Amino acid sequence: MFDPQWLPTIMIFLPLLGSLLILLFPDRWRDEVAGFMSAVTLGLGLMIWYAGGSGLLSLNWIPALGITYSVELSGVSLALAMVTAFMSFIAILYAARRIPNPGTMLALILAMETGLLGIFAARDLILFYVFFEDALLPSLLMLAIYGKAHRMRALVKFAAYTLFGSLLMLVSIIGVRYLGGSPTFALVDLKQNLVTGPAQTWLYLGFLTAMAVKLPLWPLHAWLPDFHEQNHDSGIPDVMGTLYKVGGYGLFTFAIPLFPDASLELRPILMGLAAFTALYSAWIAFGQQDWKRLLAYAGLSHMGFVALGVFSLNETAVIGAMYLLAFQNLYTGALFLSVGMVQERIGSLDTRVGGLMTGAGALGGLTMALWFASIAVPGFAGFIGEFSVLLGAYQVSPWLAFAAGITTIAAAAYALTAFQTTFWQARPLGGVMVRDLIHTEWLILGLPLVIAIFFGVYSAPALNLMQPAVKSVLAALGGN
Amino acid sequence: MPQLVAPDVAFLPMLPILLVLAGALLSTLLGFWVGRRTLTAINIVAVLLSGASMVSLWNGGLSSFAGGLQADNAAVLLGLTVLVGTLMTLLVSLDTAWRERVSFPEFDAMLMYAVTGCLLIVFSGDLIVMLIGLEIMSLAGYVLATFQGSRRAEESGLKYFLLGAVGSAILIYGIAFVYGATGSLNYAAIAARVGSVSNLTPENVGILVGGSLLLLAGFGFKIALVPFHQWTPDVYSGAPTTTFLFLSTVVKVAAFAGMLRVFGGALTDAPGWASTLQILTAATLIIGNTAALFQTNFKRMLAYSAVAHTGFLAMCLLGTPELGGAALGYYLLVYTLMTGAAAAVVAALQRTEAGFEINDMRGLYYRHPGYAIALSVCLASLAGLPPFAGFFGKYLAFQAAFQNGYVWISVLAAITSVAALVYYLRPAMLMFMPDRTPAREYAHGQRFPTTFTVGLGVAGITVLGILPNVWYSWVANPAIWSFLAGR
Repeated sequence: MFDPQWLPTIMIFLPLLGSLLILLFPDRWRDEVAGFMSAVTLGLGLMIWYAGGSGLLSLNWIPALGITYSVELSGVSLALAMVTAFMSFIAILYAARRIPNPGTMLALILAMETGLLGIFAARDLILFYVFFEDALLPSLLMLAIYGKAHRMRALVKFAAYTLFGSLLMLVSIIGVRYLGGSPTFALVDLKQNLVTGPAQTWLYLGFLTAMAVKLPLWPLHAWLPDFHEQNHDSGIPDVMGTLYKVGGYGLFTFAIPLFPDASLELRPILMGLAAFTALYSAWIAFGQQDWKRLLAYAGLSHMGFVALGVFSLNETAVIGAMYLLAFQNLYTGALFLSVGMVQERIGSLDTRVGGLMTGAGALGGLTMALWFASIAVPGFAGFIGEFSVLLGAYQVSPWLAFAAGITTIAAAAYALTAFQTTFWQARPLGGVMVRDLIHTEWLILGLPLVIAIFFGVYSAPALNLMQPAVKSVLAALGGN
Repeated sequence: MPQLVAPDVAFLPMLPILLVLAGALLSTLLGFWVGRRTLTAINIVAVLLSGASMVSLWNGGLSSFAGGLQADNAAVLLGLTVLVGTLMTLLVSLDTAWRERVSFPEFDAMLMYAVTGCLLIVFSGDLIVMLIGLEIMSLAGYVLATFQGSRRAEESGLKYFLLGAVGSAILIYGIAFVYGATGSLNYAAIAARVGSVSNLTPENVGILVGGSLLLLAGFGFKIALVPFHQWTPDVYSGAPTTTFLFLSTVVKVAAFAGMLRVFGGALTDAPGWASTLQILTAATLIIGNTAALFQTNFKRMLAYSAVAHTGFLAMCLLGTPELGGAALGYYLLVYTLMTGAAAAVVAALQRTEAGFEINDMRGLYYRHPGYAIALSVCLASLAGLPPFAGFFGKYLAFQAAFQNGYVWISVLAAITSVAALVYYLRPAMLMFMPDRTPAREYAHGQRFPTTFTVGLGVAGITVLGILPNVWYSWVANPAIWSFLAGR
């Protein structure tokens, strides 16, 4: 009899196995191997979902240090893991066709998928840290191998920001266990041995720094636009980059349960920062003339919403934040890929080319629909997320909710302006006719859109998955 | 009339050292008749035998010369680390010694004498044995650094000698002070006297503090602790790369082992040194890491990275002997493996003894894929990225310092690590960037022994990173480190 507790472990390491296999197999089998491995990973995710989540698997990894190998996929983490697996599959589908000699890229995508799934499944702080850093390596390599001219600066910036945060987190992790007196780093044990008093606030700040960089939260966001701008035109590294936004998840799963008093204490400041991030980046996005930078700032704006939801510690808002976190990956990822398709056709990422719609109607149509999802038009998954966040945040701090709410208007403005100047307007003189979507490109843009619409109309399955997890996490606050 | 007492001489605990010494003597004598490569092979065998005899001493708790030589578990663990570094040096020297123009028997002889000294430090049970070992190690090291007949090597050797001699002098002065304060040179006896400071008269406390600070400064020269580090970058980057490998790993491991014996054992309870060490550690972390950031030569950057790692290693000394010893025991092996493998790649691929410029590493992945991947694994590990062993080394160092109350230094170490990440990642990422310019490496550097060394290092840091228990379970037992001074 097979023990379902092992399923998350298999799901985490299967992509890594795939990425090693790619290096072994002959070149012409690489696409198939990568596709197969990622599809099986996604299938495993569905199996776990069907079984109602996996139990907690906990093994002693380094007994002498109290480090355990604890993994579990259920609730929010399962939802995020499945979206990760799905978008990795889509990215592989696209990379196999778009990138010449894609072996390295496919291996990196799979390696990164392992890191991301590990982040979502980890229930031990050191294990979480290990996966947190592991996901960094493939993304750096993608940037180094496939990036553009100024990638080194972007790379150093990205790595320096990320590591600055995560090393402070490491010190906090050591502190959480040592000052609380927990026997291991497993979340279960740590929750029973909370640190109290001012030490908790300091440790929370260390933890928060890492998460705020990853989220990213103003003022620790400066790496993000460069990271996206300098990445490969196809947008595949960007898809993995958007999946990278584990900050919100980390705050939710680890920070709230471990630092309940500090979360409450710092709530007003952090909510303010989050609302400011959302509004500020939407404003910046409005001025961008590079699609990738625009999308980067749009993503940043969404993450401001996520942060607002998480920091408000209100049940509705937190559910909304997690919902947004999960589904934002779908449509933002797909938008990055659509930008890659536009670049492939016209050789430019400029937002003011004009007239694309005449040649590539389907591409334009699907892109527009994805933008609707992104700016939270009702009927798409993003709406449910953003609306819940605002609804919940309003109960905590009406003014901040109002300020953040303005973002939705700004979002519509920047998204529709950029779309209009790229796809409508007059075709430039001498512009060649561009090819419309072919073959798998339909799936690559269509599938995420279908899912975003499905969960926008029928949200019950996802909400049922997330609600108990959110409730149990917020119970740590003592009824709030 | 005083009775003449035969000294307590037990050969078994000395065997590992004697085997290495035998290798050194053989190299000296046989050098007239056989080629250097044969000698290197003989020395590799001697090192392996020494390792085997060391393993057989595990849990033996033997000692010789009335406690002057300790073959306890701590000595075995640190001694094995020394031998791993030596093995890597010998293997790399098989391939590159002739290219570095140090291919003569004396090179092997000096190397093995230095290892003998290192092992003496590791096994030392009193300050005199430690000093003898340190001097043998240092003198051989000065010669090694000068061997290559170039201006750079001569300059680096002279610098090493002058500053090293000053360091030794300070150290000896410190030993005299400690002897003056406690009336003994034996670690255990010193620890017993110091353990209750009330035993010492107030004047003696002052002398003890002075002595331990002088010892700290003396050791500071050997491990390249700021502000005693100035010789390091010049010597490391000026010496032949094989020597660089040796000096930055084996010699440093031995010096840290000596520090662990003295400060973690004999002088644990002495006042003054810990608060000084934390300031020096902080300075090392800041200066080592920021200086490495501005290097354009890869070998020189590795030299500064060795200084920076001194800071992380010294954090272990700030922990309690039990935690800190375990952390140091793990970290030193990992440090040896990753620095050794990185230096081996440089030794194989460099065109001149200056190593290569960081910008010349662009596109290395497309020319020497295996070495490029190995080097980037080493750099990731040096930077402390999981799943490589450097991460756990760093983690253990943080933990040791944090749990002994040095929270601020853990935070400082975390912040300076960011600079470390930048200077390790730049070359690592440059290697993967496509490049169309002609290769700037030495084309025929990939030979089996070097590749084997690199493979050993990379396999070591990967396995120890994913399963740290393979080594950590040996060093974790606190009982090993609570009797550093001897029983």
